Amino acid sequence: MRSALSGALFGGALLTIVTPQILAHHSFGAEYDEAKPVTLTGVVTRIEWTNPHSHLFLDVKDDKGNVVNWKFEGYPPNVLYRTGWKRDATMKPGDRLTVSGWRARDGTAWAHSRQITFRDGTHLFFGPPAGTGDGGTTPAVRVP
Amino acid sequence: MRRSLQVWLMAAWIISVLALPLSTFPAAQSATTGVPRAPDGKPDLTGVWQSGTNRRGTWEEANTGFGVGGTGRESPPATPAPAPAREPAPYTPEAAKKVLQSFNLRAINDPTARCLPAGVPRANSIGLFPIQIVQTPKQIVILYEYMNVFRIIPLDAKHPEDLDPTYMGDSVGRWEGDTLVVDVTGFNDRTWLIGAGTFHTDALRVTERYTRVDKDTIVYDAVIEDPNVLTKPWEYRTTLMLREGTRLGEYVCAENNLEPERVEKLLKDGTEFRRP
Repeated sequence: MRSALSGALFGGALLTIVTPQILAHHSFGAEYDEAKPVTLTGVVTRIEWTNPHSHLFLDVKDDKGNVVNWKFEGYPPNVLYRTGWKRDATMKPGDRLTVSGWRARDGTAWAHSRQITFRDGTHLFFGPPAGTGDGGTTPAVRVP
Repeated sequence: MRRSLQVWLMAAWIISVLALPLSTFPAAQSATTGVPRAPDGKPDLTGVWQSGTNRRGTWEEANTGFGVGGTGRESPPATPAPAPAREPAPYTPEAAKKVLQSFNLRAINDPTARCLPAGVPRANSIGLFPIQIVQTPKQIVILYEYMNVFRIIPLDAKHPEDLDPTYMGDSVGRWEGDTLVVDVTGFNDRTWLIGAGTFHTDALRVTERYTRVDKDTIVYDAVIEDPNVLTKPWEYRTTLMLREGTRLGEYVCAENNLEPERVEKLLKDGTEFRRP
């Protein structure tokens, strides 16, 4: 057993790769700008519990007092449920909360969400970290 | 922020898996320690598993804090660990250019962004969604929540001669001692292997080894061969961790997939997103 497993795991002629696949659906970096973090407080107007991504819509007052409806993208429902979210219970339209994430590159009222902070100060992650799905920091091949 | 998160994640994962000498896997010392057995005496791989992690416990326990996908409740440590070096994939120079092109395009052409199946071995590498293995004496079935695809793996069987190329390929398995060895072929050329742009041709062949080394852990090892684009076999290894109490759910990716139209708009608008 030991030799068979060792041979399988450490075959000398083979190259071994180890790449954590955090989220595989789509590219963060193409759509969102890691250099533009955003944290907004507002009132939930709608939640889409859909695949491949959930969405949260938030009415936020801008500097001039105008209300802008922001859209935040997050994890799919199964991922949220497995980490403590409950549909129609954890977060409901009318709730006031704070969302942090990163803005979309197109400059509209749209962002990738990471953390949601509720009024009682507790928080949950609604979306993955910045940079998921866009290839990470190192390509799979050598850069010439 | 992004760099520190990524570096921390990657470093923690790689260190946690690779820093362990083989002798720390109980199976390297004893093939029987804590490994459940099927009635026929083979190790029983039946269960719900999570890839890309070596944390034990239920799904919520293992993913509390900075778990796979960062789905937990706490923030990561502020100080990132250095990322270990990674050996490059053995693509031919011409093929490597194509891989690099996708990397520089930040993987916008990822087939999964169009809700297509992840392929092999990638489907076994995605830690955000569970996979379920159902073992019987004559066949083994693997169910994937991600894209809701499945693989049926007959044991001691031959591949059909009239294989039609598919995303997940055609699998046949056999037991080599306590290791399940699965030969996968009959792929189309529409999936990625491991990492941005890691394309392949329909000559792809993957040899997988599943070794349940203790109650909680399957060591998964895949040898990837494609003579059209790889200069030599390429190996991918991860661990699958048992997640008792986790149920696989429905995942209908096409329900609300906004990605294709967004990518089209990005390109049409000339929005700058490429790597510098």
